Order: sequence, then structure tokens, then C-alpha cells
Amino acid sequence: MFYAPESYPIDLPTFHSQMKLPYTLTPGRGAGTFLAEMPNRRIVGSKFANGKIIAPAQDFSPVNGEEPVAMIEAPHTGVLTAFTRVDGAVIGLIRLDGCDNDFAHKILADMDSLEVGQRVAAQWDDTAGTSIMSIAGFVPGADIPVGAVKDLSDPAEALGVINYSMTLDYQHSYGPYYGRMFDEIREHGRVMGVRLPAADSALLPPREIDDISHKRTGTWKACANTGTIRACSIINMEVYGQTRPVPYVYAEVVLDGASTRMIHIIEIDDLETAKRTIKPGTRVQAVWTSGERKGSVADIERFEVIPE
Amino acid sequence: MGREVGIVGVGQTHHSRRRTDVSQAGLVREAVDRALADANLSMDDIDTVVVATGPVLFGAVNQPEKWVVDAIGAQGKSVVRLTSGGGAGFAGALAGYYQVSGGYSDRTLVVAYDKLSEGQLQYSISTLYDPFWGREFAVGIMGFSAAYWRARMEVLGHTEEAAAMVAAKNRNNAIANPYAHQKKAVTVEDVLNSKPLCWPIKLLDVPPISDGAAAIVLASDKVAHHSTSRPAFIRGMAYCCEADNAAERSLMLSEPLAIASRQVYRAAGITNPRRQFDVVEVQEPYSCFELNYYESLGLCPPGQAAELIASGATQLDGDIPVNPSGGTMGANPIGAVGVIRLIEAATQVMGRNETHQIKDAKLALVQSGGGWANLRGCAVLSA
Repeated sequence: MFYAPESYPIDLPTFHSQMKLPYTLTPGRGAGTFLAEMPNRRIVGSKFANGKIIAPAQDFSPVNGEEPVAMIEAPHTGVLTAFTRVDGAVIGLIRLDGCDNDFAHKILADMDSLEVGQRVAAQWDDTAGTSIMSIAGFVPGADIPVGAVKDLSDPAEALGVINYSMTLDYQHSYGPYYGRMFDEIREHGRVMGVRLPAADSALLPPREIDDISHKRTGTWKACANTGTIRACSIINMEVYGQTRPVPYVYAEVVLDGASTRMIHIIEIDDLETAKRTIKPGTRVQAVWTSGERKGSVADIERFEVIPE
Repeated sequence: MGREVGIVGVGQTHHSRRRTDVSQAGLVREAVDRALADANLSMDDIDTVVVATGPVLFGAVNQPEKWVVDAIGAQGKSVVRLTSGGGAGFAGALAGYYQVSGGYSDRTLVVAYDKLSEGQLQYSISTLYDPFWGREFAVGIMGFSAAYWRARMEVLGHTEEAAAMVAAKNRNNAIANPYAHQKKAVTVEDVLNSKPLCWPIKLLDVPPISDGAAAIVLASDKVAHHSTSRPAFIRGMAYCCEADNAAERSLMLSEPLAIASRQVYRAAGITNPRRQFDVVEVQEPYSCFELNYYESLGLCPPGQAAELIASGATQLDGDIPVNPSGGTMGANPIGAVGVIRLIEAATQVMGRNETHQIKDAKLALVQSGGGWANLRGCAVLSA
């Protein structure tokens, strides 16, 4: 905001949004074989033409991009090369015996007792399956013998797909324009925009600067509960994350008194009738929720066609 | 003006619905190896690298360029990553073009990819919507694209049948494309009778979802001859945007594409696109968009796209073939598509297109775009 006074409050309620996404990731041959061998208590690494050995296995040399010449079995023992504490857990970098890289894993020991250069050995968790957490962590010990890299015999088939998911939470700031708009929706059940610099019609959502003229927008204005469809399509496919059954209409509606669109839905009985009766130019009205308004676009439950 | 820039090597993967044998980085490596081999170069010869992909949510890997660089052996080089939704590949190529044209680099590798089998495509695209204002009602980009096609039907006459002709043309062209994975002959009737997904968009108006990568090597005219005797020179290239929710935005003609084409045509000396171009490659994420582009690119006047497709002019044997490669209907690894369209057009003017070489093709037009249909660009190539 260009003209916010210094006294303007900066610690205001935020809008919570969440994205929740499932994935089927592809590890590739090296990482896929490493993971497939975890339940067999074998640590798979890659051997490159220059003799360097990298574990866990990689499809490409991190030094020059070369592809490995063979997969190897790395020992379960090595040296601690760095460590820190994160959320109460100790994390360290481990260089397995005979290998040329360090990789991160849990260190199962009190941090105060650790030293760089200390010998460590893998501790296994046989319940973790095809995950790097089949190694529960590395345990320090004074007399851990030095292991050796071996050829990998009869490697398991690489995993093709790994199920994964992310849930991402965000707290968005409304800002003064969205803040007032949603306050008005919650308190008064009306949609308010701001006037264009040189016209009476309102921009929705409201904003400080007009996109085209780059001039400051004008005063606030309540838009009507009625409007006209500018564009619409009939949703007839089920996609991940959808909250209502198909078919329904996705509609971009210009409310009376506004100049830009509001995105919402219209419920329909059947697709064929909707093709004929709902189109650009069709008049619609907002149906507000009968429950408590929360201050979001979803306080309008849906739009309905106004019978001619 | 900067230096002349040519495409001197191209490579793409054999695209497919799902590749479980390679990681995202392995997929990129395949395209890069092919492009470097095609240009008679090794990674040592490359000055700068541009990596282009779609939104991070597609593949759940943030800053994927750090992974890609390791996999292609580009450690120590100047690397930037670009993302611009569907237009990511094209925007990446434009960044590479600027680097070579401006004298910062003699040879730039541009690699673009998406591995769409790994995530939730439409849900990820829905996050382009304002979280306060419309995201909860979004149906990816398809609900929106269908809505404005519906509006263009009334105003411009872009009928279901006209779009079905586009879908059938591109699908049938893709059958001969060695890199495509959707290769099935269809008729206009098949398209019209296919299941409505976001009506008026129907199943066969929609490209497949693909895993794929594509790479090009851009070189200054000074060194281009080391790679090929016939580079595809970029005669003009632009990528423009418009405001997403401005009062004046109609979504009838694509205004950013019209602006980009005016800039590019001026640079390339194009005054009559319909007559001058020998071949056109466009990124048509749904069949209806190709009609929209005919008009915004000036291949026909506004409102006459349906007549243009019906006339047969944009078929393989027409006077201005559009998407002889099959366009996105054969394969659609979204972030890579801008580079794939450049490859298909470049190989046409180099005289070595593997799908359908248009005889004596000398001047080619490429279109690509992304975002909220508000980022659109085009380029002109000639040998």
C-alpha cells in the first residue's frame, strides 16, 4: 500500500489456506535400487569410471554428470564428519568406509558425547520397509571395525514409484482492501468493490490501483446480489480436491454494479438442459448461506438462474 | 540490435504417460544428451544453461535446477531456472536467446521438462487462482478455458465442430510423430461424441498428460557453423502479458499474443503472415485455443477461425499447415511444450523434420503461452 500511515496496525488476523497433494514420485534406477534393498539391510552405492564411490546410489556423478559403471554394496560403518541438533534430534553427516561422499542421517547418541572423526555404525529398523528409515540411525562406538565396499550381487529391482504427500499450510494477509471486502461480506452480507478511477462501476476484488490506467481507484461501492454470466462451463469430470458432485456449472459472473468477474458455481440437474439454459448473458443471483457467515466467498453458497 | 541467434541442435525424449524407469533428472538428461549430440557438442562447449519447468507443485521438487545441473554435468556453469506455467519452455528459450543475442554467451543450452505423472495436475493448476477469490471453485485451467471458449462461441463463431476439426487434424498428424505417445486416428464425429469433461471441452479436445523433456542449443552466428551448415535462425521472439482481472479484459482475441506477434512480425519483416509463413507450430492445450491463435496471430481476421479450419488451409496439404507434428495432442509434458514447438518448427526450416516435413519450408511461426491465458508469445524462425 502506497499511503499506509505508520500508525496502521500490522498484526491482524490472517486467512488460512491449505494445499494437500498426493504424489507418485519416480526415484530412478540408483535411488530406486537403494530403497528396494533397504529391507535386505544392504546399502547400495554407485561406482564411477574414475573409481569414486557414492552412497546412497546416484544415477549421475555429482562431480561431472557421468553415469555410474556399476552398483556396489557399501559397508554399514563409517566416520562422523559433521553434526548438529534439530528439534531435539541429532543429525550428522556420515562418510561410509570406502566411499567418497557424506550423507545426512540421524545420530542415535547424546550430542555432547560426539566428536568429528568418530566411528559410527548403522542401527537397523526392520519395520520401516523400502525407506531410508530402515536405517534407524548411526550409533557411535570406540572399536567399530572398518568395513569394505563389495560388488552388489543380485540387486533387487528398482522401485518405480514412491507414494509421497505434502500438506502445506499458509496464513495469507488480507491487506486493507480484501480486509474490508470480507468484513463487509461477514457483517452485512454484501459484496463491496471500489470504483474505477473515472467510472461508477466497481472493481472486484477491490484494489488500490487500477490495472489498466495505473491510477488510484475511487470510493467503495456495494454491488448487487444479481449479475450476468460472462463465461461459464459445465463441469462433468471428477478431479482431485473437488468439493461437490458433478455436473455443476463453473461461472464467472459480473455482479450488477461491478466491472470485473467473480468466480462461483451454479447447481444444475442435468448437463443437456444446462447447455441450453445457462450461457454468457444469462441473469443470475447469489444465494447466501443460511448459517453463520465466515467472511469468505463461500458465504455465498451458489448462484441461481433468475427465471425470465 | 543484438547478435544473430540460431538453433543448432535439438533433442527430445520419447514422451509417455508415465516413465517409471527414470527420475525427473534422468528424463532431462536424455533430452540434453540428444540435443548436444545433434549439435556435435559436449557440455564443455556450453557457456550457460537455462532450465525451465512448470509449477513446483507438479513434481514436488523445489529448485529442481540444482538436481538437474548435477545430472547433466553442468556444474560450474551459469545456470538460471525459469518457470512460466505452460509457457515455461518458451520463456526459457527467450531467456537463452537474450543471453546469446546480448553477447553474454556464445552457446546456451535450454532444457525444459515436466513429469506430470507424479502429481495432481488440475489441483496444482487451481493454486494459480487467488486464494481469497475463486480458488475454492477452480477446476484447474480447464473450467476457465472452457468458459471462455463458450463465450467465444457466441461472439466469434468458434463452434464445437470447428474445434473438433482442430482436434482431429492434430491427433491424426501426431500418428507419424516418433516422439508422441497418443497416436490414434480420430474423426470429427469421434471428437464431438466424446465425453464432456468441462463442456464445451470434451475428452478428445484435451491433450494427454505426459512425462517428457526437450532441449535446444542456441548459438551465435559466429559459432553456429561448428554445429550445422543450416541453423534455424530466430528472426524475432517475444512473450507478453495482460492483467488477469482488469475491467477491459475480454478474452475474445488474445491481446498479449496480438501484441507479441506485432512486435515479432516487425522484427522479422512479416507483413502477410498467412502468405509468408510455410508452417506454424502452436501450443494448443485445448483444441479451442488453436482457433483463438489463428486470429490473434493474424492468420485470419477475427471471427474467421472456423472458416479457416474448415477450408483445409491448416491441414498438412493446405497452404499454411498448423501443427504438422500433432501439437500437444500427441504429447503434453507442459513445461517442455514451448521448446518442443520450437524444435518442430526449427527442424522444418532446417529441412529435417521427422514427422511431416513441409516441402521447401523456409519461414516458420511458433506460438506458446501460459499463466492465466494472460502470458502469450511467438517467434519466427528461418534457415
